[in-house]
Amino acid sequence: MHLTDNQLNEYLDNESAQRAEIETHLDSCAECAARLLALQTLFADLDSLPEAPLSKNLAARFAPRPSLPAQLPRWLTLTAVLQAAGALIALMIAVPFFSLMLPQVETPPFAIWLIEVQALWTSSLDALSNLALSFVEGYQFTNLPTYPVELSTLFIALAVVSIFWVFGNGLLLRNQTK
Amino acid sequence: MNALTDRDLILRARRGEVEPYGELVARHQTSVFNVCYRILHNRADAEDLAQETFIRALDRLHTFDLEREFSPWVRRVAANLCLNYLEAQKPSAELDEDRDEDKTQSPAEQVEVKERSAQIRMALASLPPQYRIVVELRHYQELSYDEIAVEMNIPLSDVKSHLFRARKLLAEKLHASD
Ligand SMILES: [Zn+2]
Repeated sequence: MHLTDNQLNEYLDNESAQRAEIETHLDSCAECAARLLALQTLFADLDSLPEAPLSKNLAARFAPRPSLPAQLPRWLTLTAVLQAAGALIALMIAVPFFSLMLPQVETPPFAIWLIEVQALWTSSLDALSNLALSFVEGYQFTNLPTYPVELSTLFIALAVVSIFWVFGNGLLLRNQTK
Repeated sequence: MNALTDRDLILRARRGEVEPYGELVARHQTSVFNVCYRILHNRADAEDLAQETFIRALDRLHTFDLEREFSPWVRRVAANLCLNYLEAQKPSAELDEDRDEDKTQSPAEQVEVKERSAQIRMALASLPPQYRIVVELRHYQELSYDEIAVEMNIPLSDVKSHLFRARKLLAEKLHASD
């Protein structure tokens, strides 16, 4: 009785419980020894397969991401500066207006200072206009801006500044989520 | 960084660091690629699956037993991914037997077909998917029958029958091409 294929396979895989019996048979049977040798040759063939080289680096996917640039883009910095300027102008218009419209509230010293600046600016404009228009005969320049300004003008100015503010911050947030 | 062991790299990768995992991938990518290449017999597919292996392994890194070696673990992950891939392809693979073979061989590679390693790769590629995985796990990853049964979630008797039939087929192919 010759060895089965299963016996030979299990023997070579070191998974056989009957090693001694199998070895005894192999010593005395050339046919089974030849079958074992053929199987061993196949094992050697499989072992001889060399490793193939990779053509790309799989580790590249796990490289750390480049950190965000420390400085904001130029155009975004400009937007922020314009926003700040817009907000300052809105403040200059609004503070004297509200302090005049709400006389019962005590006017803060800063607002008084702003009113003085506004008054100075208005009188300078007056002087300039008078100088420029002094040659225009018979024309009375009576429409110089005086406070309080029209309510609608103020709200339009505030709305425009708010739109700029929302738009500017929207851009900043969008940049962060990238 | 080269002084660090795989274990050190895994511990750091578990804490969310990207660079140590990249180093781990760099160390093991060739052996993982070769698992996929032996099973799939197609370079492009093998590289894709090897990349996928490292992504999956990163997801499951918290389940890795630090007392064990990383290489055998990640190569088993690769073999399993390849089996799933082949099973998904099964219907068309059976209709077209040599679908998996690399059709993009340069003249130099065609000369290599005559070499033993090319014959072995061709013979492996001709096996049914489950046979290829069993041969990979037994001959190249040196798992026991029991370990293969657990890994592939099949009965021990199937492990043996797949493996022994696979060897018979391989011997016939390689013997016929001698
Ligand atoms: Zn015999």
